[in-house]
Amino acid sequence: MRLAAFAFVSMISGCGNPGQPALGGDPESGRLLLRQFACGSCHSIPGVANASGKLGPPLEGIAKRVYLGGVLPNTPENMASFIRAPHKADPRTAMPDMGVTQAHARDMVAYLYTLK
Amino acid sequence: MKCLGGFLLLAALAGAGFVYSGWYDISATDQHLAPTYRLLDYAMRRSVSFRARDIEAPDLKDERRIQTGAFLYRQHCLHCHGAPGVPPAPFALGMTPVPVPLVHTARAWSPAEMFWVIKEGIKMTGMPAWKYRMSDAQIWSVVAFLPAMARLTPAQYADLRIMPLEPAQDVLEDKPSAKRGEQAINQYACVTCHEIPGIVGANAPVGPPLKGVASRVMLGGVLPNSPENMVRWLRFPRQIAPLTAMPDLGVTEQDARDIAAYLATLR
Repeated sequence: MRLAAFAFVSMISGCGNPGQPALGGDPESGRLLLRQFACGSCHSIPGVANASGKLGPPLEGIAKRVYLGGVLPNTPENMASFIRAPHKADPRTAMPDMGVTQAHARDMVAYLYTLK
Repeated sequence: MKCLGGFLLLAALAGAGFVYSGWYDISATDQHLAPTYRLLDYAMRRSVSFRARDIEAPDLKDERRIQTGAFLYRQHCLHCHGAPGVPPAPFALGMTPVPVPLVHTARAWSPAEMFWVIKEGIKMTGMPAWKYRMSDAQIWSVVAFLPAMARLTPAQYADLRIMPLEPAQDVLEDKPSAKRGEQAINQYACVTCHEIPGIVGANAPVGPPLKGVASRVMLGGVLPNSPENMVRWLRFPRQIAPLTAMPDLGVTEQDARDIAAYLATLR
């Protein structure tokens, strides 16, 4: 019976295995940086304090989303570049350029890629 | 009683094991067992005849109607169902079940049943619902054409002079309805790319989830969210954001308003 329950749960949830952090960044630092750069005032972000903004899309499950900002295929590299210079990907986007450095972007991506 | 419970539990476990093992062959090249096919076919016929019971057919002998139907048939039906002397397209031959020749359907089914099947489609068969692509009048003209086609020789079908149609007008019929929107969301495939509360479907996370979209401030990252803008965004996303991966799906004004009404309930 337990086996059947296990079978059912793994069937509907899929089995993930945590690998290396994306772009070799530090997820924990990324989590704090997302707060420091006020990302949560526009996005809801699981695990980030007070991140419940409704201006942009929620970032829950962002690691699995296919497009970033609706325009850019989601890869760790593209995510870092979208965070740093959103207007380069979409001149019309409402997302502002927050002056994020490459090192900071790498950490943010490492955290965001844990949100499956 | 205990024995029966044990048996049922065992049967349920065996069923779950069968599903989990992947033993069932889902491929389109594996034909159904004869009893499975007969059962599915019978269930389909019963369902169609029950649901079409109150539909009344208009005059199907009208020549103009038949001509319109000929055009629509070639446009939308021919690729899968073929015509006298014309085979279905290669992709249709690979479908399971293989689409049937409608020259036979026209003899075996009533006009009301054919109308219902064309309009509503049939789950898990590949038969799409045409409700959101054709008006009722257009569907009736296809129904009118089918028996006419069944009386044509292959040579006569090849010689048929098929006139193009005037494009249909986009008419607003009704006040926006969230209930209709719920169905339209599936019919425009929204649910294949977005997770949408209340809509069962693929939910692939291609675009953002639409939970809470009614209180989101921006649409597609570019357009302030308002009821009017939502309708515009649903109809012409690529006019508003030329770089967006969201395609223009040919959503009519009425359907966009209905979908927007449904999305407005997702707070």
